[in-house]
Amino acid sequence: MDGLELLKKDWQQQEKELPHLSAKEIYPLLLKKSSSIVKWIFLISVIEFLFWTGVSIFFEYTDQNESFSSYGLEGWNLFLSVVYYGGILFFMVWFYLNYKRIKATDSAAVLMKNILKTRKTVRYYVWFNILFLSLGLIISSILITFQLPESEQIDITRMVIILTIVLVLVVGILLLFYRLIYGFLVRRLNKNYKELKRIED
Amino acid sequence: MSKDLEQQFVTQFEAHQNIVHKICRMYTNNRDQHNDLFQEVTVQLWRAYPKFRGDAKFSTWMYRVALNTAITLYRKSKRQVTTQDFEGVSFKISAEEYDDTTERQLKLMYAAVKELNDIDKALVLLYLEDKDYREISQTLGISEVNARVKMNRIKGKLKKVLNP
Repeated sequence: MDGLELLKKDWQQQEKELPHLSAKEIYPLLLKKSSSIVKWIFLISVIEFLFWTGVSIFFEYTDQNESFSSYGLEGWNLFLSVVYYGGILFFMVWFYLNYKRIKATDSAAVLMKNILKTRKTVRYYVWFNILFLSLGLIISSILITFQLPESEQIDITRMVIILTIVLVLVVGILLLFYRLIYGFLVRRLNKNYKELKRIED
Repeated sequence: MSKDLEQQFVTQFEAHQNIVHKICRMYTNNRDQHNDLFQEVTVQLWRAYPKFRGDAKFSTWMYRVALNTAITLYRKSKRQVTTQDFEGVSFKISAEEYDDTTERQLKLMYAAVKELNDIDKALVLLYLEDKDYREISQTLGISEVNARVKMNRIKGKLKKVLNP
């Protein structure tokens, strides 16, 4: 007999040796909480949303407002606010819609794709924040410099270089952090999804 | 969720629980892990149950949710131990029915299946459960042709285990 057929025969004979839970034993299981990867991704995503929104609001409402008013850049400040809050709203709705799409009853490939898509939404949100803060900071600094009286003018090139170095460092640290946290969390999922894709290619 | 729905689910679950046990056996190495995965699958099934419309068979729906939990949703809990008792608890071979050669061959086959990746294990499991390629392809979300091609490759790989 072929090895796999032998295995099939043995596999199907195992039924009588399997454990059997009574209805009484099943009921308490329904009350237990899930510890699925989706739950973790959701929790971490919510924390990220809160963290990055907090960071940006902190910058928005500390010295920025005062600085912009004193340099006559209220219009620029309004533009930043509209872009930022519009961005938050867009990403939150996108995240919610993607999250709602995750269903354990889909095929394995669709389920994995939807989880990874939801995860990606949050990654884009983080990039949106980093870009917004970086570009906002650089452009605002240049605009403010132009408003300074000649006696107080500073070297714009030097300032942009210093800011860029600082930002590259911050982004580098964040990327490393992401690789570690999410690399660990979605490693198995990524591996299985790639395997399914490979079968289809 | 209503008591009626709960009762209906538990009745169906109790009758078909073998499916979940078999999937747990395929993907875990010891009793702790088995129980942990069984728990997670039960929760996922119960959560998905209100939307189960009955247009598919309960067992087909169960294979899908349980396999999805095993290969995608499940996160191994910290309390698991790493003891391997694959040939003991997980796959108890009824030795009296086989001679030594058969038993040895079975052990080799089970060990080879254990070495497969998550997706290949899912294919093998559905094959061992006598599911047709249409159901296998729908459960995994791949085409029927590719499911067949992949399964043939796995068969070839497993064949070599007994005839290297």
